[in-house]
Amino acid sequence: MKMQIAINPRLRFHLSPFVAILLILMGIAFIVAMIRYIYGIGAISNLSNAYPWGFWVSFDLFTGIAISSGAFVLTSIVYILKLEEFRPLVRPTLLTGLLGYVMEVIALLVDLGHPERIWHYFIYQNFTSFLLAIGLYVMIYATIMMVELAPALLERLKLQKFADLIKRYMKPLVIIGATISVLHQGSLGALLLIQPAKLFPLWWTPLLPILFFISAVAIALAMTIFESSLSSRYFHRGLETHLLEKLAAAIPYVLGLYLIVRFVQLALADDLQYLFNSGTMSILFWTEVIIGSIIPLILFSFKRIRQSPSGLLTGAIILLLGMILDRFDVSWLAVKHPDPITYIPTFMANNVHYFPSLPEVSISIGIFSAGILAFGLAIKYLPIFEDEDGHHPAASH
Amino acid sequence: MTDIQNIKHKAFLFDATRCIDCRACMIACSVENNIPVDKTRIWVAGVGLMGEYPNLGRVSMVYHCMHCNEPDCLSACPVGAYSQRPDGPVLYDHNKCIGCRYCMNACPFGVPHFDFNKGLLQGAFIDKCTMCPQRIDIGLEPACVATCPTDALMFGERTDLLTEAHSRITAYPTRYINHVYGETENGGTSYLILSHVPFAELGLPNLGSTPVRDISEAAMALTIPFALAWGAVLTGVTVGVHQFNKRKEQLAEAEAKAKPEETK
Repeated sequence: MKMQIAINPRLRFHLSPFVAILLILMGIAFIVAMIRYIYGIGAISNLSNAYPWGFWVSFDLFTGIAISSGAFVLTSIVYILKLEEFRPLVRPTLLTGLLGYVMEVIALLVDLGHPERIWHYFIYQNFTSFLLAIGLYVMIYATIMMVELAPALLERLKLQKFADLIKRYMKPLVIIGATISVLHQGSLGALLLIQPAKLFPLWWTPLLPILFFISAVAIALAMTIFESSLSSRYFHRGLETHLLEKLAAAIPYVLGLYLIVRFVQLALADDLQYLFNSGTMSILFWTEVIIGSIIPLILFSFKRIRQSPSGLLTGAIILLLGMILDRFDVSWLAVKHPDPITYIPTFMANNVHYFPSLPEVSISIGIFSAGILAFGLAIKYLPIFEDEDGHHPAASH
Repeated sequence: MTDIQNIKHKAFLFDATRCIDCRACMIACSVENNIPVDKTRIWVAGVGLMGEYPNLGRVSMVYHCMHCNEPDCLSACPVGAYSQRPDGPVLYDHNKCIGCRYCMNACPFGVPHFDFNKGLLQGAFIDKCTMCPQRIDIGLEPACVATCPTDALMFGERTDLLTEAHSRITAYPTRYINHVYGETENGGTSYLILSHVPFAELGLPNLGSTPVRDISEAAMALTIPFALAWGAVLTGVTVGVHQFNKRKEQLAEAEAKAKPEETK
């Protein structure tokens, strides 16, 4: 068993400028959060009665959970489909998933009006609410990911016995985790089901949970490619292109299915009429569909692009940007609250055209910085990019 | 929604042709419910001058909680802070609220509002009209209705008010739009509206007769069956793949055994 981890000089986390910047951003977010706790959400954000949910929900909840989807897809591939070659990808995606969930919970502590009452989730439960379901999924799945990732820590602490114990029960853990995670991704879409009168018809459909699930799989594959490529570039710990190529080869099928479901649903709901004549909404729709689905579908269909590291990275980034725009559209940009001019009184009509304020964004940036820092520390101190037998797949080649 | 329930339901009737935009209802509500001046649970919104000279007109609309028969806020609240009394009022309990503001997203009328300018210690909560239960329980009308000088707002049994509304439409078919808003909208509301201009001009959303919460709740009901089915599928696939791999190994072993024998 390898206990000491070869420390690559480029991995040192003495106070490099990059780390210093991350720490400063975290500090700013902390101060802003304190102001919010003392003076209220309105003091730091542009959220208002006309826009009760804004950037925090779009970025931290919708985007954060979407890009955490790699964990359930990769654990399913390795532990359920038994495609052992992908095992080296499991721990990095689990780590990203776990950090994504933890970041989301921290963001919620700022966004909720009464974060100190989060325990109400356990005593006052309203089972018709998708938000209750989502809160419970976050807690359960974050716990499962912690257990799934625990062997990395236990191996590092020389507690091999406990690590082996967890590894023995990985399969049932993965099955429960994948089920909860699929429900969670779908439920995020279902959160919008209650807004048929507010969400633009190009996005609102009873199939939202299914669309969210399919796109989460595409995001999972792209996110794994993105993260592995960056890790190999900047931390010299990454994975072989041939593995990523296989993941990329699945993307066109997933995106194809996504596009079919999406457009067939629009046709069946008689919403095709909005495709071209709805101004900003049409532009947003086509931007997200072209960037998030059509371009990556075409790019990843070419073997030559899938085999080049920069081709993989470019395709993954384009897909992620488009899909993140989709999450922003659904939760913010395509949501229209009742017309304020006609019936919302003056005191409520402020900030009707919602755009996030700088302090509001700084909260999310601070939390994200903490996530990057935690990721860096974890891959430095824990056997994340090594596979479970202690091999370093990138080094062995 | 049965007829028996309807009979018990208390409701408001608002007649836009009678409202003179005096806003006495807003003052009455603030006084009765002890609401600070910069907040309100009821508001009169006008659309300004309409039409062309010399046929000018003004419309105003009194807005507060619609007290839906099937409230979406109640369905959406994760911690069950909302409740509905059998006689209609939809109530909110700030002791349970965690401040997630999902009810504000769920309400198609944009009724619940939140204290964005209060910190943790001051307590930032949702606020909305309660139908003055403290008054209606002792046989009084809600404060806004009791104050209204022109009877633009009326209060009573929902069925009685519906009859009243329809009889006004029959009596003055040219004055009113032939529809009582809230009779069927969003599954029926306890705030009924008569108007001489299209309801959209009053700022009212165009809603079907099924409450918006129905699809959400139907999807929610699928959660557990889906979880069980998906868990079963994943377990099945795991076992299947495991058996398949085992079989393959066995075959490979058998072949490997067979080969040396052949060479002998």
